[in-house]
Amino acid sequence: MAQPETAPPQMAPAPVPAPVTPAPGVRIDGLTVVYKTSAGELPAVRDVSLTLEPGSITGIVGESGSGKSTLALSLLNAVQPPGRIAAGSVEIDGLGDVVGLAGERLRKARGAHIGYVFQAAQNSLNPLKTVGKQLLDLGRSHDVDDLRGLVREAKELLGRMGLDGARVLDSHQHELSGGMRQRVGIMLALVLNAHLVVLDEPTTALDMITQANILKIVREVHAERGLTTLVITHDIGVVAEVADRLAVMYGGRLVEQGPTREVLGAPRHPYTRGLIQAIPRLVGDIDEARALPGRPPTLATVPERGCVFRERCALRMDICETDDPAALADGPRIVACHAVGAKERT
Amino acid sequence: MTVIARRLAGHLARGLVMILVVATISFFIVNNIPGDPMAARYEKLVEGGMSPEAAAQAVKVLYGFQPTGTLWQQYTDYMGGLLHLDLGVSVSRPGTPVLDVLGEAAKWTVLPVLVGTLLSFLVGVILGVFAAIKRTSKLGDALAISGSLLHGIPQYVLAMLLVVIFATLIPILPADGPVDILFEPGFNAGYIGSLAEHAVLPVVTYALSAYGGWVLAMKSSVVTVLGDDFILAAELRGMKRSIVFRYIARNAILPLFTILALSLGLLLGGAVFIEKIFNYPGLGLMLINGVNDRDYALMSGAFLLITAAVIVANIVADLFYSTIDPRVRSGEEAA
Repeated sequence: MAQPETAPPQMAPAPVPAPVTPAPGVRIDGLTVVYKTSAGELPAVRDVSLTLEPGSITGIVGESGSGKSTLALSLLNAVQPPGRIAAGSVEIDGLGDVVGLAGERLRKARGAHIGYVFQAAQNSLNPLKTVGKQLLDLGRSHDVDDLRGLVREAKELLGRMGLDGARVLDSHQHELSGGMRQRVGIMLALVLNAHLVVLDEPTTALDMITQANILKIVREVHAERGLTTLVITHDIGVVAEVADRLAVMYGGRLVEQGPTREVLGAPRHPYTRGLIQAIPRLVGDIDEARALPGRPPTLATVPERGCVFRERCALRMDICETDDPAALADGPRIVACHAVGAKERT
Repeated sequence: MTVIARRLAGHLARGLVMILVVATISFFIVNNIPGDPMAARYEKLVEGGMSPEAAAQAVKVLYGFQPTGTLWQQYTDYMGGLLHLDLGVSVSRPGTPVLDVLGEAAKWTVLPVLVGTLLSFLVGVILGVFAAIKRTSKLGDALAISGSLLHGIPQYVLAMLLVVIFATLIPILPADGPVDILFEPGFNAGYIGSLAEHAVLPVVTYALSAYGGWVLAMKSSVVTVLGDDFILAAELRGMKRSIVFRYIARNAILPLFTILALSLGLLLGGAVFIEKIFNYPGLGLMLINGVNDRDYALMSGAFLLITAAVIVANIVADLFYSTIDPRVRSGEEAA
């Protein structure tokens, strides 16, 4: 079997390990990702600039089709065909520009430097092999000499997340619950000691209790291992729970970013405001929640010029038709909106 | 292990019941075929110039019995014999038990069909993977088209085509029976070489006619697996290409094993046309002769053998599947 060790699973929190490499910073600059369609190449992500500070948790919020998953895949230079990165760079400390990586160097960067955690509902494990065997495949792929050590590390991580490591490694995917799979996903992303972790919809399709558990684990593991974390979600609640910094995506653009508390407390971009107004309160009148009118644009309906949000915007001005609003920084906050920019300037 | 044992026991019990049901059905169908084996033999003798009295006498001597029992008695006799693996005595070959006739014929069918099927499976599956991976290129198109084309040509047309080309136009291969009668049967180079030479065209026919199905099935299976999340997940974890390829191949080939087992089960009965064309004395040719001779016992026996083969193949497929797919093994619902 894959697990020669018989040590009992470590259920107590592991001591905080000293980070082998410090948490890397990430600088995404002018990133544009296009998808080839019958109507030509259409941008799913356009001119996005975003900095992930070392050791921070950044949350990207957006609706389906806003380009957030494409952005996440770009961090691993793994945009799937017919998509491709058309412009921009993704600088990761210790790796350089990921957009320029290819072949073996790119493959080794994935997993070893950047961990990617899939949505729990997605089957991110080979259904025919036990978790342990897939862990060994991962180790062999990355030329890990000490496979026993790798298994030990995996058990420790799983134990840290409240699972019986030996049992989980001996299980197939269909024997694990959604929450367990998600923890296995996190383990596989971290076991090679990656310090940049991308979580794509980490709590989608999980029940509320499990969601809370997973988010707690994400927060704790992030702090203990000294990670830089990016969480992609459509759930503002998830971001509010874990992220230091929040970036709001709409129609392939980052429309607003800033410290989570500030953005949620005093949203500036009309889209962010609309999103927050749409959340029903636990106490109070349900009618206070107002849905945003209209629908989000799709790849084909994103306007070529001007603001992507203008169709649904209450603050629409003439300039929104013709000019892309520039992302203007005001302290730690960045907003891309003509209306907000004008207000600020006057 | 106990799961497998329980599964096997259940399968065997069900298989046995199925065999008995099929034996019953084929017994009554065969008995309802117009004609009478003794009358057929009698007419043959008369046609050959024998006087009616002498012919009647000859038939009586030849078979040594006259079926006098009711249909029900014949049926219970037959089923009783079946329990002792006694399939009766061949009518067209007096004195020879049906089981011996079947065994003699089976060896000429099983080996060529087995080799042909496995060959086509191997080649088809491998090329199917390429057809899937290169599906946007010319190579992928060519492979898919070759699959559709060969899949579309009926087996007997293919066989005749091969005979015309390789035995008539360019006479490099024999197409007249299983072996050259000049050679002494036995374990000598000449005999075995002749066997192999004669087997080439039938085997190639089986292989080519099955190849298309494998290519197309494997292609679609691989394409499905390529779209699965765990393949992208493995790539994003930086897994080696060779390992990802193994993940794809193992998951994609799974459904094909079922088809393989079933087609191996059907192979005993599926060779009628081919054996006729190549004059191969296998089960197919035997069945044709049996029908011509109104050989009730032989026909029933052949049907029964084919049934049993299909049932056994089903059981093997199921047990095999449960050893290669953990979701089946544990007896749980696949997630």
